[in-house]
Amino acid sequence: MDALFRAYRDACPDPDVSANFMPELWRRIEERQRSVFFMGRWARALVTAAAVLSLGMAAYLYIPHGRTSVFSVESYVEALAAGHALDAPDLPESVSDEL
Amino acid sequence: MLVDFEIIKRAQAGNAAAFNEIVLAYRKRTLGTIARLISRPEDVEDVGQEVFLRLYFSLDQLRTAEVFEPWLYRLTVNAAYDYLRKQRRRMESRMSDLSEQQVMLADAMAGGRVDHDIRQRKQISEAVDAMLSAVSEADRILLTLKEVEGLSLKELEKIYRVKENALKVRLFRARQRVLKAFGEAGHEPSAKGAAKAEI
Repeated sequence: MDALFRAYRDACPDPDVSANFMPELWRRIEERQRSVFFMGRWARALVTAAAVLSLGMAAYLYIPHGRTSVFSVESYVEALAAGHALDAPDLPESVSDEL
Repeated sequence: MLVDFEIIKRAQAGNAAAFNEIVLAYRKRTLGTIARLISRPEDVEDVGQEVFLRLYFSLDQLRTAEVFEPWLYRLTVNAAYDYLRKQRRRMESRMSDLSEQQVMLADAMAGGRVDHDIRQRKQISEAVDAMLSAVSEADRILLTLKEVEGLSLKELEKIYRVKENALKVRLFRARQRVLKAFGEAGHEPSAKGAAKAEI
């Protein structure tokens, strides 16, 4: 097997390099650089957009709005009092004796 | 080393002229290795360009210029391995695929234009290709680097980043698998016996 491999080495010498090798290599390098550059720009734009969106959402949640929040800010006693307002004894209206 | 450490350092710093010098110094040897690893002459330059492309974009990861050569071999091996895997997938879908050179040689032989020497080279090349194509890409690459390229175990250690003993075991197993495939393909027992005796 060793002899066969040696013969194979002799049967396959180093090939000649074509004249187009270097220009083609540099074309591929520049193409890859361009795609890396554009991907980098897209990634940066995406990160910036995400950051702006996050800040916008944070500001929206932080600033109080006119409408009532779904979460109560009242204390328990205040909420209970408001809920049972009708339980308070009604004072009967004074009966007029005017007939 | 075919280039000075200084040139490698300049290329690492982004000097295009230094990178050109490296490519010019190593391209013939690299293409030769690729040719013997993939056995398809029409794709050798394409894989070679892929190797130098990877070199260009990963040169800054090289810690010391002293390990440049094993590192370039590693890039070459990886690119050849990727190519062979793709090729195997393609070959599964097109079993009757012949390389351009094989077709040209077949035509030339039919016309009686190829002399005895070229015919003999072709036979050896085809025999080894057939033998190596019967085993995995990893075995093929390891055996080619050791037996055909003539790399030492120390050099292979640096390329594969494994211990010498582990490499010896892998080489032994790869040779066993080649011999098994060689035997199953129905080659003459004397050659098989001789090869076994060498191991």
